[in-house]
Amino acid sequence: MKTFEEKWTAWLDGQLSERELAEFEASLPDRAAAEAEKADVRKLGVLLKRELGVSAFANEEFFSHQLRERILESSVPSAKREANASTWWTIPRLLWTGTASLAVFLIFTIFVIRDKNPAEESQYLTQILNARVDPVVSPNATVSMFEVKQDRVTVLWTEGLQSLPADYAAK
Amino acid sequence: MGRTLAFLISFVSLIIGATSELQGAETVWSGLVIAENVAQPQTIPPELTRIEGSLKKFFGYNQFQVIGQSQKTLKTGQEDWLATSKFFGLHVDAQGESAAGYVLNLKLYKEKELLLETDAKLSKRSPLVIKGPQIGSGQLLLVLVIQ
Repeated sequence: MKTFEEKWTAWLDGQLSERELAEFEASLPDRAAAEAEKADVRKLGVLLKRELGVSAFANEEFFSHQLRERILESSVPSAKREANASTWWTIPRLLWTGTASLAVFLIFTIFVIRDKNPAEESQYLTQILNARVDPVVSPNATVSMFEVKQDRVTVLWTEGLQSLPADYAAK
Repeated sequence: MGRTLAFLISFVSLIIGATSELQGAETVWSGLVIAENVAQPQTIPPELTRIEGSLKKFFGYNQFQVIGQSQKTLKTGQEDWLATSKFFGLHVDAQGESAAGYVLNLKLYKEKELLLETDAKLSKRSPLVIKGPQIGSGQLLLVLVIQ
């Protein structure tokens, strides 16, 4: 026993037998409205077929070529396919490349630092900013300063400070 | 693979260790030294070993004896300290730290009398030597070294 919806769909598609058609059309409450709807559905069907219809494939050879490629591809052993797909960057290679890069970086850094050092050497020598002696205690005293870059020693040289007896050398 | 990993780990640790060591606190040795010429010179104190050649060359003495010293570990770069002998006192006042070293104000006292004052930027790699007064046949030297 078909439901009303099934019969309706079959009526729209024109697939009811003569007896079913007569019975169904007799059961319709508003025949004119139903006919109008049927006409709309047909129009819509035509429109959809025209606009969205699947384009027919014209080139048979192209498809058979595609098909043959697929078959060939699937017949290649899976291990070989994986090998083809794998990358050169394996973990050991990555580690070695990283180590080598680090080594190159360090070598360059050392060279840069080495080149930089002579220019900045004075910065690493002790600098005397100023010096003064008590003019009352040592009126004739003078101070001078010099840096010995070779030994990296800075000397503040005083002359004329009051001399003291040997007792002052006591600990 | 395992060896490579071990090598990498030790390498990185060494670099990190060296870096942190560079940033650690430093000790300044300050000493009052009597330089003299004697027939049988005594061994130079260990703190002066690295500048022994320079001291002999500049001052012309063959013996160097420490009569007063102080060792100060600088944490903030703002510390001050005193190295004293019986009659002399060397007051050191650290006034800040830079990449190259410490800015220091130095005052040499003979008992309570200020003999000499100086400001210096003491480098971490370069000792400072100050020629003080003549004492008997010798010479008073002030030495500052970052150890």
